[in-house]
Amino acid sequence: MFTRFEEYAATQMLGQPDSPPRSEGKLFFSEEWQRTVFGMALALSKEGHFEWEDFRKNLIHTIAAWEKNACDGETTWDYYERYTMALIEVLEQCGVLERGELERQMTPDEPSK
Amino acid sequence: MAALFDYDENREAASAAKVRALEALLIKKGVLGSDSVDAVLSHFETVAGPFNGARIVARAWLDSAYKRRLLDDTPKAIAELNFPGMNGAEGEHMKAVANSESVHNLVICTLCSCYPWPVLGLPPYWYKDPVFRSRGVREPRAVLREFGVPISADKEVKVWDSSAQIRWFVIPERPAHSEHLNEAQLAALVTPEAMMGVALVPSPSAA
Repeated sequence: MFTRFEEYAATQMLGQPDSPPRSEGKLFFSEEWQRTVFGMALALSKEGHFEWEDFRKNLIHTIAAWEKNACDGETTWDYYERYTMALIEVLEQCGVLERGELERQMTPDEPSK
Repeated sequence: MAALFDYDENREAASAAKVRALEALLIKKGVLGSDSVDAVLSHFETVAGPFNGARIVARAWLDSAYKRRLLDDTPKAIAELNFPGMNGAEGEHMKAVANSESVHNLVICTLCSCYPWPVLGLPPYWYKDPVFRSRGVREPRAVLREFGVPISADKEVKVWDSSAQIRWFVIPERPAHSEHLNEAQLAALVTPEAMMGVALVPSPSAA
């Protein structure tokens, strides 16, 4: 039904718990990093590094985890923070990243491994 | 309650830093191309989206012969405008209906939420809502009133049910006081909601 991966990927999410923010028919990003992480997940899945549905499973799971704890006032809602967590998780699951690799990359002064 | 909506700037900065680091790492590993993000998002930002539908509507307002062709054979008339992302399958199955002094059209989808993406972009969050879908069929005038579009009793309301076979979109009525506007200026007035029939196009003086 969809001839473009982009349309397939976005449509799978619509009306579901992981539905992305949008406005006036367009994706809604309030910060550049949100646009970047959305595009990265699409591009990497399109290239075949992981199944889109596997990423979505992580995303739905991390959203549900937030909802379960939201009333404790731990953290405010941030869709793209959840999205980033889900992307890192799927990249570790499919072996593109080693567990903890990104953290080590972000703190290069600490001894790695 | 206000605390719920407070946002820690450090958290925002931490997310931004994490995403930048992830992008850099993936590019370094050769997994992600440096232009991959822009390439994939260009589909939503410039290829398939409500900007296409707005251009179609503006052309129909300015050119009555085009409007007739659009209503007669929508895919063929859309093809005339040579949109970059709409060749073959993407333009198929679309059908335009025109609002007028005597008819208001509303597009819904009761079964599968098929939506004319290439011309309207991503559907709003309520489009798949079962309440909207069922009430749109049973009491379209009440639904329209809630959207701020009261339809007078002497105007007919037609409800079109989109499906995989036909994806409907609405050519809204051209607003008053828009005679001086060119095609691009007119297109800027047209929203996806207006092309679904749940909004009117405001007069440029009121906008």
